Amino acid sequence: MTGLFDDYAGPPDAFDEMIGPDGIRGAYAAVRSYMDRLAPDEIRARADYLKSSYLYQGVTFDIGGEERPFPLDIVPRVIEAAEWSVVEQGVAQRVQALEKFLGDVYGPGEVFRDGVVPRRVVVSSPHFHRIMHGIQPPNGVRVHVSGIDLVRDGEGRFRVLEDNVRIPSGVSYVMTNRRAMFSALPEVTSRHRIRAVESYPQRLLAALQACAPKGISDPNVVVLTPGVYNSAYFEHTLLARMMGVELVEGRDLVCRAGEVLVRTTRGLRPVHVIYKRVDDEFVDPAHFRADSMLGCAGLMNAYRAGNVTIANAVGNGVADDKLIYTYVPDLIRYYLGAEPILPAVDTWRLEDPVHRELVLDRLSELVLKPVDGSGGKGIVIGPAADEKTLARLRRTILKNPRGWIAQPVVQLSTVPTMIDGTMAPRHVDLRPFAVNDGSNVFVLPGGLTRVALPEGELIVNSSQGGGSKDTWVLARDGIRGRKAKKQPRVSVRGVPVEGVEITQASPVEHQQQQQQQQQQQQRVGPPVAGRAATCGRGAPC
Amino acid sequence: MNRLQIVHTTGYRYSEGAATSFNEVRMTPRTTREQFARFWRVEVSPQAWTHTYTDYWGTQVTAFEVDERHERLKVVATSTVEVDRQAHEGKRVTWEDLRAPQFTEDMVESLVFGGHTDPGPELTSIAKRVAKEAETPAEVVAPVIAAVREHVRYVKGVTRVQTRAFEAWEAGAGVCQDMVHLTVGALRSVGIPAQYVSGYVMPSRDPVVGEAVVGESHSWVQWWDGAWLAYDPANDVVPGNYHVEVGVGRDYSDVPPLKGVYAGGGESDMYVQVEMTQLA
Repeated sequence: MTGLFDDYAGPPDAFDEMIGPDGIRGAYAAVRSYMDRLAPDEIRARADYLKSSYLYQGVTFDIGGEERPFPLDIVPRVIEAAEWSVVEQGVAQRVQALEKFLGDVYGPGEVFRDGVVPRRVVVSSPHFHRIMHGIQPPNGVRVHVSGIDLVRDGEGRFRVLEDNVRIPSGVSYVMTNRRAMFSALPEVTSRHRIRAVESYPQRLLAALQACAPKGISDPNVVVLTPGVYNSAYFEHTLLARMMGVELVEGRDLVCRAGEVLVRTTRGLRPVHVIYKRVDDEFVDPAHFRADSMLGCAGLMNAYRAGNVTIANAVGNGVADDKLIYTYVPDLIRYYLGAEPILPAVDTWRLEDPVHRELVLDRLSELVLKPVDGSGGKGIVIGPAADEKTLARLRRTILKNPRGWIAQPVVQLSTVPTMIDGTMAPRHVDLRPFAVNDGSNVFVLPGGLTRVALPEGELIVNSSQGGGSKDTWVLARDGIRGRKAKKQPRVSVRGVPVEGVEITQASPVEHQQQQQQQQQQQQRVGPPVAGRAATCGRGAPC
Repeated sequence: MNRLQIVHTTGYRYSEGAATSFNEVRMTPRTTREQFARFWRVEVSPQAWTHTYTDYWGTQVTAFEVDERHERLKVVATSTVEVDRQAHEGKRVTWEDLRAPQFTEDMVESLVFGGHTDPGPELTSIAKRVAKEAETPAEVVAPVIAAVREHVRYVKGVTRVQTRAFEAWEAGAGVCQDMVHLTVGALRSVGIPAQYVSGYVMPSRDPVVGEAVVGESHSWVQWWDGAWLAYDPANDVVPGNYHVEVGVGRDYSDVPPLKGVYAGGGESDMYVQVEMTQLA
C-alpha cells in the first residue's frame, strides 16, 4: 500500500518536524506508521469529516462579519517529553519574570532605578494604567492566565515570539481539537500516551479561587464576557460551563459600597473573583471609557478596597508590548538571577542610533514591527516588500524611531498537513497556555498550534487562511508497545501526572468526553485574535 | 506661616435625577515641606460609601458611591492647612543638565509633549526663539509666561476643562487652567520639565483673621531648575502663603477636583463654591 507520506519532504529552508536529515524524527515515527496502516482514502475521508464536523458544530471565526471555518488538520503536531520539558520550564520562567516586573512597575519601580528598563518605555505605553499604582492583588498574582507564542527556528529550537498576558484566547480550541482527534483517529491516538488537556478548566478555577480576597473561604467566581458579539464568546461560555461558574456581562453586575454583586433570580449575590475577558479600557466607566457598557461602574473601587479580585489584573498590557519584549531576557536575569531558558527572537530597537543604522541598511532582509501594533497590523516583511513600501517604511521609521523594532526573518518550522488530499509541509507556531495560582505556574501540556494553510504562506494567522492542529505532548514513554501491557491506573481528572496515561480507553474520560461533546453543540467563536507570526527566508544582520 | 481653613462645596443638580453615582474627589491639601494639612474631611450627601487612597501622583483621593436615587449631589471638603512657603532660588541648571540622558529619563513624565498641554505652533516657536538666546533654561520662563499673559485674556466660560492649550491660544482667552497648560506645554517644548499644580488661592492679600472670603479652585505651574519652582501665570505672582497645593500632575486630567459618572437621564448642572478663612 502506498502511504500518504511516501512523497512527503520538508521544505529545503525550514525545520520540518516530521522529517529530518536522517529520516523520520522520533516524535512522529509512530504517528506516521499508524497512519500508514490506514488507506489514504480512509484518511482523506476522516480529514474531511474533521473539517465538516467543525463547520457543522459552528467552530468558525469571524473575519469582517463573515463566518469562516477554522479547519482542524488530520495530522497532529507531536512534541516529545524532553522537548516539552524545556518549553514548560521556559514558559513558567517567563511568566514569573513578567509577574515580578508588573509588581515592580505598579509598586516600587526598582527596575527603573536600577536602569534595567527605561522608565519612558513603561510610562509612555498606552497600557500603563496609573490607577493600578499601589494596588496589591491578594496573592500577588497578576498574570493568572497567559499565552506565550513560540516558533521553532531553522535549528528546531523553540523561540518566544510574543507574550500575551492580557486576555490570551484560544485555549478552548486546545480542548475541542483533542476531542475531535480522538474520535477521528482512534487507531493513532490509542497508540500514544498523550498528556491530557482536559484538566485546564479545573486548574483555572483553582487559580481563580486561590486569588480570592482574604478571608473568603468559598469565593464566588464569575467569567465576565463582553457578550455574544465578542469573537471569543464561545470560549467564555465553554470555560464558564466547565468551571461550573456563572458567565456574566457588565450589566449583570452591580457595585455597592465597594462590593461587587451579581443579579440572580434569587436576588443579589456577592462576587469575589472576576475572570475578566473584557479589555481594561471597558472595565469601569467611572475610571476608563465613560461610554463603556461592557463593564460596571465602581469595579475599580471594589478592586482597590480588596473586596474583589480581577484576573488577569488590570494594567498587564505594559508587560506584553513589543518594546518590553526586547527587555524580557534582561528582566529574567534581573528578577530571577537566571539565564532565559527559551531564547527570544533577536531584536533591534530602532530608537538606538547604532541599531537604527544597521537596520536601515538592511530593510529588505528584516521584519519591521510597530511597537504599538497588535494583530499583525503594520508589520512589514522586508524580503516580501517592494521598493516603494520600503522607501515609505524608511521615512516612517525616521520620523518615529521609538515606535519600531526589527527582527531577522525567522524560518518557522513545518509539519505535514493535508492539502487537497495530499500531505504537504505547512508552517506552524505554538501558543502554550500557563495558569499561575500563586504558588506554581502550570503550563498546559500542549497548546494551540496554528498552521498557515496556503502554500509558502509566511504568516500564521487565522485571518490569512489559517487552521489548527491538535498538539500532542507525549508522556515520557510516549508510544505504546504492541504487546499488551498491564493497564496503568487511570488518573483522576484534573491532575495530570507525568507518565500516567489518560486515554480514551478510560471509561471515566470517555463519559466526560461524551458529555463535553454534547455540551459542545454551541455556536463557536473564532480562535485567536489574528496576529502575524513572521516567517520566510532571511539573514540576520 | 499662615493657617487657612478651606471649605470647598460642590456637586451636581440632575434634571431627571440620578439612580447611582460614582465619583472621585481631589480636594485634600497635600502635605509637603512647605504646607501641612492639619485636618481634612470630605462629606457627601446623600449618604455615600467612601474610600480614601493616595494616587500615582501622590494626591489624596476620596472615591465615593451613592447608591440611592438622588436629585442633588453635594460634596463638602473641609480642610485646615498651614502654609509656610519660602522664596526659592533656582539652581541655574544648564541646558546640558536638562539634556543628560538619565535626567530626561527620570523626568520623562514632566517632559511629555502633547495632549491637553499642546501649545500649538505659534507659542512653540516663541518658546524656541527665546530658548535659543537664553543662556540658561531659567531665563526662558519669564518671557514665555509674559507671552501667554499677553496673548490670552482671563475670560471665564470661554473654555471648558477639556479644552486643549492651543485652542485657548487661538481663542485668545481662557482661565487659569488654560494659561497653565500653555505655559507647561511651551516649557516642555524646549526641554524644561514642567508640571500642572492644582490647588486653592485666597484672592484677598489682606484678609481679616476669622472672616471667610470667597476663594477659588486654582491652578499654577511648576518648572524644574534644580528644584521645582512655582509660578501663577493667571495672577502673575510667585505662589506664597495664600496658595494651597492639592496635587501635581501632567495636566488637569491628572488632578481634577471632582470627576465621575452617574446613571440617569437628563442634564447635570455643576456648582462650585470655595470659602477660605485665615485662622492665624
